[in-house]
Amino acid sequence: MADFTGSCPICDARINLPQDTEESEIINCTECNNSIVVESISENQVTLEEAPEIEEDWGE
Amino acid sequence: MLKIGMVHSTIRGDEKLLMNAARKRTIELIPIDIRKQILNPETGYRTVPCETWQERFDVILERCVSTTLGMHAVSFFEGQNVPVVNTSRVAQLCADKFTTSLKLRNNNVPTIPFAMAFSEDEAAEAAEQLGGYPVVLKPATGSWGRLLAKINDRDALEAVIEQKFVLGTPPHKAFYIQKYIEKPGRDIRVTTIGDKAICAIYREATHWITNTARGAKAKPCKINEALEKLSLAASHAVGGGVLGIDIVETRAGYVENEINHTTEFKNVQRVTEVDVAGKILEYCLEVANGNH
Repeated sequence: MADFTGSCPICDARINLPQDTEESEIINCTECNNSIVVESISENQVTLEEAPEIEEDWGE
Repeated sequence: MLKIGMVHSTIRGDEKLLMNAARKRTIELIPIDIRKQILNPETGYRTVPCETWQERFDVILERCVSTTLGMHAVSFFEGQNVPVVNTSRVAQLCADKFTTSLKLRNNNVPTIPFAMAFSEDEAAEAAEQLGGYPVVLKPATGSWGRLLAKINDRDALEAVIEQKFVLGTPPHKAFYIQKYIEKPGRDIRVTTIGDKAICAIYREATHWITNTARGAKAKPCKINEALEKLSLAASHAVGGGVLGIDIVETRAGYVENEINHTTEFKNVQRVTEVDVAGKILEYCLEVANGNH
């Protein structure tokens, strides 16, 4: 059983997320495959937002 | 218990590995989303008003995916007398490929021949100085294999430079040019921590760009004596710390390409099965204890 659930902000799919999900983590929606970010976690609900665009200065 | 503040601007797989490693070791690792902080030297750590950064954290581990945010964060924390991994000096040297190359050359670390130019004619002459075409033209700052151009002739150089002049911001008008090195279908990423070469991977690709972000496949690479020597020399030249050192195999031996100061390591950890995350945390604790 998933530990967190949330809704994809792009396709509205219900997404199940594992217990080690972290705030600010970027994941792919399992339905539409778009990048979304875990905005906040409370109890067993997560708030998901569209992930920020990759910026020119992103990297290692 | 020593406290590590992990500064980030998003949580990638690498940061999750660090957080999991901290839990296994009972290390207090506190994620700090730098986007939600105010770096005001007059105020303290925002979550707990009136508590100074120095009181709250024994060491900061900088893990921002944004180089810009990370560089500012590191400068700020050093100003607050909190040790940082990696230091601002290391970050500055590694963030700019031209600066890195100069530092390596000045320390007699074998590196790919390079030059910088700021106009088309000078870039063309630089290409001749580097042995002729093809050459590689890239922004001095950047990552993940973005905006790299293999310039096969003068026509291509002219076209790319025109585009950069018309479409690019000022940093794109500094043309960092490297001699093109034919790779054997791969390059090598060595992860160094402190004075140790921890582990390495081959990054295999049919394309000349061998970043895993561009689809290259990671395979384990055994660190031989020459690889260890070069990677540690490169690390030492830029000030050490936790680094991802990119190395190319040539007929004349290994040469260093570039150094990453907020190195990603999830692929490295996966294919080598080395606990890179754990070793990074151990290094941070050593820094907190004043051992580096």
